Amino acid sequence: MSVWEIVELARHPDRPYSLDYIRRLAPDFIELHGDRLSADDPALAGGIGTWHGRTTMFLGHQKGRSLKERVARNWGMMHPEGYRKALRLADHAAKFGFPIVSLIDTPGAYPGAGAEERGIAAAIAHAIMEWFRVPVPIVAAVIGEGGSGGALGMGVADRVIMLENSIYSVASPEAAASIVWRDNSRKVEAAEQLQLTSREIVGMGVVEEVVPEPKGSASADYDAAARALDEALWRHMKPLLDQSSSELLQHRYDRFRYIDSLISAEPHFGPKID
Amino acid sequence: MAIIEQHREEVAIQGAELPEILLPTNCPGCGIALEQEELRSHNYVCLNCAHHFRLGADVWIPLIADSGSWQERWTDVRSHDLLNWTVPKPYQETVERLLEDGLNEAVRTGTCTVAHQPIWLATFDFGFVGGTLSIVAGERLARGMEQAALSRTPYVLVSASGGARMQEGVLALMQLAKVNAAVGRLHSSGAPFFSVLTDPTFGGTAASLALLGDINIAEPGAAIGFTGPRVIKQATYADLPPGFQSAEFQLAHGQVDMVVPRTELRPLLAHLLEMYP
Repeated sequence: MSVWEIVELARHPDRPYSLDYIRRLAPDFIELHGDRLSADDPALAGGIGTWHGRTTMFLGHQKGRSLKERVARNWGMMHPEGYRKALRLADHAAKFGFPIVSLIDTPGAYPGAGAEERGIAAAIAHAIMEWFRVPVPIVAAVIGEGGSGGALGMGVADRVIMLENSIYSVASPEAAASIVWRDNSRKVEAAEQLQLTSREIVGMGVVEEVVPEPKGSASADYDAAARALDEALWRHMKPLLDQSSSELLQHRYDRFRYIDSLISAEPHFGPKID
Repeated sequence: MAIIEQHREEVAIQGAELPEILLPTNCPGCGIALEQEELRSHNYVCLNCAHHFRLGADVWIPLIADSGSWQERWTDVRSHDLLNWTVPKPYQETVERLLEDGLNEAVRTGTCTVAHQPIWLATFDFGFVGGTLSIVAGERLARGMEQAALSRTPYVLVSASGGARMQEGVLALMQLAKVNAAVGRLHSSGAPFFSVLTDPTFGGTAASLALLGDINIAEPGAAIGFTGPRVIKQATYADLPPGFQSAEFQLAHGQVDMVVPRTELRPLLAHLLEMYP
């Protein structure tokens, strides 16, 4: 499969979205809304559900399936209010000791004037900083598109995994082509240069694991894809539940602080899976 | 602001003589013919229209640091072409050429004093691949912030950056998390963090450390935002009003505390350092 075919699979409109997974992981899922400041960002779904016998906070970018829903969900592109909603729900989880599962599936934060006017840069910056202070276990999974700061704003976690046909990138191939070539039609070349496939990302030590998808990709069998994701998320979450919050926060700091240790070419580099 | 007035008289507007920079013959702001010497002693701010010229790290350091106080750190941390990036230009060659030109990555950091008060200083250099946040830039920023947090030393940042560096892929994106983890430690330590935003500050740099200062200080007319105007227009077909994403716009939208001319920056920093001992 070519790199561009993987990008197309990661973005495929039949691909399961966050709520497809969350409702299979926790059938009693109850959605919670609002940032408690001014708005509710529908591009980010959040709420509580029982997962492996424990109340868990689920967060996930949500793309829409129909055109109407896509517009309503803003194609999974969060506004500043979305990051504030995420932190509000993280505080909620911290208060009750609920672990957090974050599913990432976004082309990026919303690139529009309104987002700029309401401080999207600071909202993402603040979210990234605050995730390092959330004293409960967090496991994140890239399930489709992991686009830029909009994705990382939901991606600071103790463990980060990726579905096989998902991508994670500093910028979308179109944006990277626009920046490097000043021509966004060079997206295929940009995608190849960016090394954004799950195999490449795990090779760089940026995620802990690639979760295999069912035959014909996640789009072909939602239940099987959800079972594979569930198994992997839980395998990473389980050991975290026994850690003290100070251990968690120190490890989370170290995980990102030394995520690029490859530059010093240290042997055996890579986040460890306990 | 009487005390600041007093500082303005006592604290020189530059720490040491600034190096010469390449200037156009006429000011892009007002068209007046420019004189290097006059501008150099005026922090490269047009005396006629107050246009602020973009400065590299080699100018920002003597502008802020007391003469002879600058101790640069980690100059030997180097970029590598991790992704084997070849088109349209080989990344390794780009980096090596810039290093030969005397630029040392998109961020330089070290310790110095401002009016005899010790600080950690980090400054972006827009001339090095658009001041993009790279692994080396992130490493220097994180190490400096960790040191400042340990010694509870005030931290001053000067940003000028297009965002994360494409040629380092997802590892460049991870610098936002790496640096913000360190920003969190800096804040927890109680050391003050003064962030100076200059033209331009965008993308991953705006979405990480640049807007997280205890006090955010923008230069007049600086463009500051997350998504650049070209991409906003491409994505939304919106017509952006004049002054969109300017320093003054960000002041009106609550993102920065003040817009301060470059000729007043050093006296202001000197005064703030006294107020946040």
